Amino acid sequence: MGLAGAKNKRKLGVDPNNTKWSRNTDSFGQKLLRAQGWEPGQYLGAKDAAHAEWHTEANSSHIQVVLKDDMLGLGAKRNTGDECTGLDAFQVLLGRLNGKTEDTLESERQKREEVKLSHYIERKLGTIRFVKGGWLVGDQVKEKLAEEEDGTPKNDSTPEAATVLSEDSDKSSDSAEKKSKKREADRGEKPSKRGKNSKKRKTEIEADSDSEDSRAKLKSKMSKKRKMDGDASEAVPSATPASVGSDSEVESKKARKEKKKREKEEKRERKEKRRKEKTESDDSISREKKRRKGGDESVDLSEPAASSVPASGVSTPSGSGYSTPNAGVSSRYLSRQRFIAQKRMAFTDATAMNQIFMIKS
Amino acid sequence: MSDSPDHTKGVKRSSSMEDDGNGTKDSKRVKTNGKAKMDNYNPYLAHQYEDSQNDFQSPLDALERHKTTVKQASKAEDSDLNPWTNQPHSQQYFKILQTRRDLPVQKQRQEFLDMYHSSQILVFVGETGSGKTTQIPQYVLYDELPHKTGKLIACTQPRRVAAMSVAQRVANELDVELGEEVGYSIRFENKTGPKTLLKYMTDGQLLREAMHDHEMSRYSCIILDEAHERTLATDILMALLKQIADRRKDLKIIVMSATLDAQKFQTYFFGAPLLAVPGRTHPVEIFYTPEPERDYVEASVRTVLQIHATEPEGDILLFLTGEEEIEDACRRINLEVDDMIRESDAGPMKVYPLYGTLPPAQQQRIFDKAPEPLRKGGRPGRKCIVATNIAETSLTIDGIVYVVDPGFSKQKIYNPRSRVESLLVSPISKASAQQRAGRAGRTRPGKCFRLYTEKAFKKELIEQTYPEILRSNLANTVLELKKLGVEDLVHFDLMDPPAPETMMRALEELNYLACLDDDGELTRLGSLASEFPLDPALAVMLISSPEFYCSNEMLSITSLLSVPQIFVRPNNARKRADEMKQQFAHPDGDHLTLLNAYHAFKGAEQSGQDAKQWCHEHFLSFRHLSSADNVRAQLRRIMETHDIELVSTPFQDKNYYTNIRRALLAGFFMQVAMRESSNSKVYKTVKDDQLVMIHPSTVVSSPYDWVVYNEFVLTTKQYVRTVTNIRPEWLLEIAPVYYDVDTFEKGEIKSALTRVTEKVKRRQTLKGNSGR
Repeated sequence: MGLAGAKNKRKLGVDPNNTKWSRNTDSFGQKLLRAQGWEPGQYLGAKDAAHAEWHTEANSSHIQVVLKDDMLGLGAKRNTGDECTGLDAFQVLLGRLNGKTEDTLESERQKREEVKLSHYIERKLGTIRFVKGGWLVGDQVKEKLAEEEDGTPKNDSTPEAATVLSEDSDKSSDSAEKKSKKREADRGEKPSKRGKNSKKRKTEIEADSDSEDSRAKLKSKMSKKRKMDGDASEAVPSATPASVGSDSEVESKKARKEKKKREKEEKRERKEKRRKEKTESDDSISREKKRRKGGDESVDLSEPAASSVPASGVSTPSGSGYSTPNAGVSSRYLSRQRFIAQKRMAFTDATAMNQIFMIKS
Repeated sequence: MSDSPDHTKGVKRSSSMEDDGNGTKDSKRVKTNGKAKMDNYNPYLAHQYEDSQNDFQSPLDALERHKTTVKQASKAEDSDLNPWTNQPHSQQYFKILQTRRDLPVQKQRQEFLDMYHSSQILVFVGETGSGKTTQIPQYVLYDELPHKTGKLIACTQPRRVAAMSVAQRVANELDVELGEEVGYSIRFENKTGPKTLLKYMTDGQLLREAMHDHEMSRYSCIILDEAHERTLATDILMALLKQIADRRKDLKIIVMSATLDAQKFQTYFFGAPLLAVPGRTHPVEIFYTPEPERDYVEASVRTVLQIHATEPEGDILLFLTGEEEIEDACRRINLEVDDMIRESDAGPMKVYPLYGTLPPAQQQRIFDKAPEPLRKGGRPGRKCIVATNIAETSLTIDGIVYVVDPGFSKQKIYNPRSRVESLLVSPISKASAQQRAGRAGRTRPGKCFRLYTEKAFKKELIEQTYPEILRSNLANTVLELKKLGVEDLVHFDLMDPPAPETMMRALEELNYLACLDDDGELTRLGSLASEFPLDPALAVMLISSPEFYCSNEMLSITSLLSVPQIFVRPNNARKRADEMKQQFAHPDGDHLTLLNAYHAFKGAEQSGQDAKQWCHEHFLSFRHLSSADNVRAQLRRIMETHDIELVSTPFQDKNYYTNIRRALLAGFFMQVAMRESSNSKVYKTVKDDQLVMIHPSTVVSSPYDWVVYNEFVLTTKQYVRTVTNIRPEWLLEIAPVYYDVDTFEKGEIKSALTRVTEKVKRRQTLKGNSGR
């Protein structure tokens, strides 16, 4: 709790847990239980009960919960003063100092970048909405894909749901691109994740396999129709009014970024040739693929929200640590962020770092 | 047994069966039947027809108990005459029969019967929507044939509403009057008759019956439904039935549960066979947020709006924790939707709150249809239900496609050390989260939006919700168990034995209340107290009230304390509500204020005013006051049957209120707090030494040093609510065992009590001297 935090004073007694009572061994209750053959430390209940394997901590002592007196969502932590805002820019540096690998650092950095970019675009240009126009199959536009018909509602609604998730429905297309980018990074770990998921719920399995299925089919279709992919990419996400208005803009930005990234990667590659080589090639291949068939990526989206993590770029002003965007971050912040971004660029540059820390390499 | 004896009737019935099979309309069926009768009518066989008329029960007579097959049962069901009432079946009956035959459980009816015949205990797992609650008891009915044995079939439900509504439904399905062949029995209402064969009841009600009939000898089969909810009463019933099953081999037991921990049930019931029926559910897609939410109410409101803006048609169900939060969210959603409609072409959305204390008429509104589009061809309307976790299992609302789950609910927690039982907002369990998600897939494939990360789901949520028995004060339960004849509390075979400390505390409280003697045996008082469907403290208070010449008043207070808060304090009229409350206020305490309000209510009622209007004007809850009235009548009946005098001190007597305050202590002497120091706002509870404040809702303006309180509330601060001023002398007089000064630890309370003791002694000697 910082100085500005809510003050929550509470007077506690000398013995708030009343251990005086629980330590007292000759209370009536304890005497009676002992007389009936109970020993401290034992469970109550039938001796050698077959179902005893299910007994938990709660059967031996009362259930303890943390008193919740705030509106924090599940898993959210109150800032207890040990996290500073604005440190965002130094995450890479700090991460490196904390011994994180280059890979994770890079992916984290990308996440942050994506969030920021999408926010910028949204604020600066607004969004353009599109409506569902069916799928282009062969030379005709169809209302629904054939294979969609059976397992559908879930399938075609998925991408848009993912968008809803990302809290800002408007920008599915650009978030889609972001997501898929992120996904590539994740691709390695995905199968295992999915395995876990499928164990969890039958319905999920169905959903998954369905989407997988249709994706496979889609893919084959797409490869036939590669030329049309620009359109397709918009059509597939379907129901959500997808926005492409900012597309070209995004595209160009992306291109620039891509280039930058590639350079960087090359640099890194040199450094850790052997380890990198494989993933890198994978990476680039998949990127190539994606670029050519935009449609595919939006179908990709229909994958379990699991991988949506920060990918849902749109969701958050970075660093706030929450996915509900902070309404109206001041414009002052923007210039500040630009400034910080410059700094960060310097930080990511290993040679620059070495200079700063006066390390002779 | 074969069909041959009733061959003639067999012909008739089989014709109807064919028709049914062909799916022809009822009217046609009736016609053909009539024609068939005419065609085949043979005067020489008239006696046979007659016979068939008299002997209508034969479709059931032909059946042999515990040897029936689906074929036989369906035949009986298809017959023109209702085998249970001998009346012809209505058309409605056959319509319902058709839908019943389509239920998923029907496919496994034979399998069920086979298992039922071969085993005494059966664990039945049916997902929601399988039809288990309505169908299984009927299957048992056609197999158990209770009219022959004279023993009933009982089916328990955790909730009163469920017991009532399911009984009504099953009565319709069997084409009988509710309260005749099919009835229900809940705490303050018994709708059964001498003809009753199948009885739906709350689990608590069956437990009450078992107190007077340890063998449950009235029943030939007991079905425990919704066992996965693990209510206190169900848990005890399971342990009890496990014992009884040993003694009564003829008693059949079916435990019905949702899929989740069926294995645990099986192991618990000596490896009973398991029958699983798939439900009729559609896949539900689960979404998590990428990052934790800062404000879960805010986030849920946004999610709802977003669904409304971007998702196709389908109703929304949002889970929140409590009344206040729900009303707040409803207001915000409504405002935003209005905005949305004004600004754009959004469809209309109706928002309904849903929580336990909501008036039934308003609860019913959640079943309304979603609103029509604003104009023809406009965007479809939808409804959004903002509910507590009662919508998680108990209520099924059709049309829900989207579920928003912030991951919290209000749960009861009991701490035996500080003796606080309170409702706290805490994270739900994984099982609960899945249950919530499942709500989205009742009508078609749905989506569930979880406002937490997948990581939080995996790491922060416990597997299963703790059963109620681990979360409650067990004083009442222990009293019931004693009354049920359970001697060995330590080795009583509960599925989830409670924490030893909780058990100790319960025993200790009962001992102080003199419900248990020092050997742990039930006393006369204890036995009497267990007759009341109340907490032991309240029951003891009521039983001892004639000693204070105020049993009428205590009866009123007890009823008022067993219903939700009668004072209404709407957000937009807080000040006026408080002013109105002051009209009833008694400076010495909230209990007395409650009583005043009740008396005023009765006065208004008797003077012929519109009580509802009167309550509205005075910011009182008419509903809760009437239910208090109802509870009072019930309790009064119990008191009368046990010859507890109903007396009052004359109102003019200066001791009228003093007597009541003293009578309160007879039950609540363990809930007393003393002011830490004069002018301090902080009180310290006796013996447990918890620091508490008096809840701001109190009317007591000048609190004494000693107060008795009704409940301990845990929020950001520890509060005691509903307090009344008392004098310490009374404590020593009314509860000398508990207030034995020697047993107290050194401290302010001990020294205060010592001072009081000395004062009392001095006064007595003075009196003695003057007397001499």
